[in-house]
Amino acid sequence: MNRLNSIAVTIFLFFCQSLSFGQQDEKIWFSGLARSYFARDVNLLKNDTISSNNYTSGYNLIDLNTHINPLEDIEVFAQLRIRNEFGSFFGSGTQIDVRQLTVKGVLGNKVKFSIGDLFLKQNKFTLYNNEEELYFFSDGFASSYRDVIHYENFYLENRWRLQGLQTNFSYEFDRFVETLEFDFFVTRPRGSYTLGFNTTQSDMVLSGVSMISKISKKIIFESNYINLFEIPSTGNINISVRNPVIQGGLTYVNISSKAISKHHIQSGFSKRSWLQLDSLTNKKIGMFSELSSSYLKNDSSFSFSLVGRYVDPNFRSSGSQTRRINMSENNLNSIYTYYSNEQIQRAITAFDIVSDPTIYNQDISPTLMSFNPMYSNALPYGDATPNRAGIFSKFDFKTKNKFLELNFKNAYLNEVIGQGTKEKRNFLILSASTNFNLNRILNFKKHHNFSFSFINEITNRGGNSFEMVDLNSKHFDFSSNIEIVKDMFFQIGLKQVKSLGNEFLTKRGAYGEILTFNSVNYKQTDNLYSLGINYKFSSNVYINVQYNCWETKFNELETFDFKYQRLLFIFSVKL
Amino acid sequence: MKIRQQYILTIISFFLLFGCTKDEVEGPLINDIYGDFYINQPFLVINKTPDFSIDELVKFQCEFNKNINWKISITGMATGSHKIISGFSNSLDSNVSIWNGNTSQYPFFKKEYCSIELTFLDEPDTLRDTIEIMGSKLYNDGFIIADFENGLPLESILYINPNNFVNDTFVLASDLPLLGNNYFKARGRVNWEWNIGKLDFKLDYNSTISAENLYINIGVLSDTVNLHTGQFINILISESDLPYNDDLSNNGADIFETSMEVYKMKIPVDWNGWQILSFRYSDFEELLPNALGVTFNKNPNNISGMRIAFQSCPSSGPDENCPENFDKPIRIDLDHVVLTENKSLLNQ
Repeated sequence: MNRLNSIAVTIFLFFCQSLSFGQQDEKIWFSGLARSYFARDVNLLKNDTISSNNYTSGYNLIDLNTHINPLEDIEVFAQLRIRNEFGSFFGSGTQIDVRQLTVKGVLGNKVKFSIGDLFLKQNKFTLYNNEEELYFFSDGFASSYRDVIHYENFYLENRWRLQGLQTNFSYEFDRFVETLEFDFFVTRPRGSYTLGFNTTQSDMVLSGVSMISKISKKIIFESNYINLFEIPSTGNINISVRNPVIQGGLTYVNISSKAISKHHIQSGFSKRSWLQLDSLTNKKIGMFSELSSSYLKNDSSFSFSLVGRYVDPNFRSSGSQTRRINMSENNLNSIYTYYSNEQIQRAITAFDIVSDPTIYNQDISPTLMSFNPMYSNALPYGDATPNRAGIFSKFDFKTKNKFLELNFKNAYLNEVIGQGTKEKRNFLILSASTNFNLNRILNFKKHHNFSFSFINEITNRGGNSFEMVDLNSKHFDFSSNIEIVKDMFFQIGLKQVKSLGNEFLTKRGAYGEILTFNSVNYKQTDNLYSLGINYKFSSNVYINVQYNCWETKFNELETFDFKYQRLLFIFSVKL
Repeated sequence: MKIRQQYILTIISFFLLFGCTKDEVEGPLINDIYGDFYINQPFLVINKTPDFSIDELVKFQCEFNKNINWKISITGMATGSHKIISGFSNSLDSNVSIWNGNTSQYPFFKKEYCSIELTFLDEPDTLRDTIEIMGSKLYNDGFIIADFENGLPLESILYINPNNFVNDTFVLASDLPLLGNNYFKARGRVNWEWNIGKLDFKLDYNSTISAENLYINIGVLSDTVNLHTGQFINILISESDLPYNDDLSNNGADIFETSMEVYKMKIPVDWNGWQILSFRYSDFEELLPNALGVTFNKNPNNISGMRIAFQSCPSSGPDENCPENFDKPIRIDLDHVVLTENKSLLNQ
């Protein structure tokens, strides 16, 4: 313990010393994040005398980012994490990890490169980290949770955090095309590992290339290629996945004095198979195509867009279809994992999605992961969800004084082929959100904000009585931020997910093939209530204290409801 | 192109795109999992008086509304013999769902009445019928190594441990044959030794079949009454091309040495009555895997001999393993040692 103490103190002193040093010499500079997190959870279940009535958890951590510039064009970046679990003695419960390590630079003032931890994104159909369910719940009290979840899981602007090598460069021309930009990367999402006695899983590699060309002021062409594959020679199970995806698109942009209109067409193909010894098995070849048009007023007061999309049932793109949350039974939440006197496993519900960083995934999956239709049924794998054809519309309106913001998103989709029947599901998504900034019309100096959001996702399928699907999920969100004294906000929030009807859960095999369908009835309601105070020292430093009460009602005899409350304290400092 | 025209063109494209649906199904049919079950066409048994000795067949026909796990159970009313035919489909096709008179387990069907039941997994429905067997199946397909009907096969070598003092053993008998009229009675007792006796056959098997598709079938009679624990038989198969029996002093054939290409299988014998055992040749192990100068490469065409060694579990002496067997004889009788191709004897 003494040794750990001395290491931590040395690092801290070095950090303090270096901060002042950093200001004098720009070759080394620091950034980072410090956070104190404390949660006290209380069990309100009368039929659970086995689980503890309450428990506390939390930690203090500091992520120290060291940026070293030995040359003007080279930067070495290292993120060192010191984390001390709440309740442990300093030293014994302290973890010191290197969380990120990257070297980046520019070769000959022309070619950029990065080695180490990379944050990569391409197109929504090739490599894209789609938002989790209930993403619009991130307003109000949930934003503090969301910051933690995204930071801890390296979710940065829909990018996947991968380790490898990336390079990019661009050209400018004076005839035929204006610019040409290239980006290459090779990463290893997973190293080889031992499965069991004398059995080793192979290395998994993800590589890709992007090309964007501005053909003229109005026309842009882009193409992306990505390939996820395993190297059989690095393991000995002789089964290795292959999943190349290629996409191409053309964008026409028209900029006038009043508005920007944009038309985009794109299409692509995917192939996924497994190489077993010398033959390919479980081969799926699919395609997608998308047309979109958008109109945006230059003052951003009004915009609308219309999208038509077709994604083939066999379209498989690991980089863009991997989910942030795997809703399988193996994914255990961390708050009262088991409940009731029968100690049954507690399912992932709305509060877990909003607050629990441990249920989130950071690995690219070559097969489609499980999802819960209650939280997202129409597009569980984002825009690249296979077996969908549909139309999407989006409408945004904002008053000039920003008193009112209105957003509408609607979609109507069909399955391309039926699952387990020739009947096809159809999906209707109705979504609206409003944001009132009362201080803008009442001329208050202090912030008074109210927001309402509503999503209704309706799934239907016809056919025989045992094939029919009728699921109606409603997501409602109300939150308010009222500045009671300068920089101190009173927060109140109510979130509800209500699902009624029936659906079939798809059970897939090791190669993503559908094995069976499990019929599920929903009468479930998740409620989240919150009161809190948020004090903002600055945009990067805040203290948030919250009281949350959350419950899930299954409304059926076989499954026990559950209800908990939580006191949360977060002190966050972005250095 | 004006902006209005651009948007009209885009909307038309949307509707064209949206019309792309296919008349296919992904995954198993929900009807098969959750649909109600009913029978579209009644259960029909074609040929209710079969004579299996002249290769007649019984055919079954039925139609259901969904794919389901079905099972036809045929039970001999006199012998108690049992045959199971099962599948997963939405019909019994009379070209596929057939019975040639074989059995799933001993005893064999004889001239007798049989009850037939068609049942379905997780469904209460049971459809019944009866047939009368006019002639039983002969089981004469395959390469018969020994059926003991006319004594031991030519050039077979029988060795009996001289310390085996049980009378009337290692002889042909006719009181309880598996098939036909005779069987080989192999019983004995040597309290201090494993080896009770062995029977070697000279084989000249010509076939291009692979080791995976060659079955070694053997009828074995055991007895759980006062069972000799730990008794077993060792089957050795030789692919050696050396002379079968040049050395007359070694109490057996000369082609089962550890320095030769010989394969083995050990079979514990601990049941009551006759059983027909079937093994793929590919499942046999090398007798001595690292034998110097021996290349192990199973080829049924090279099979030159088979040994069946009858083994006890010693109850006394330096190898004492089963003291409870003291003075108990082993009982491992044989009948119908047959090689079959592509199917085991019972599935012929």
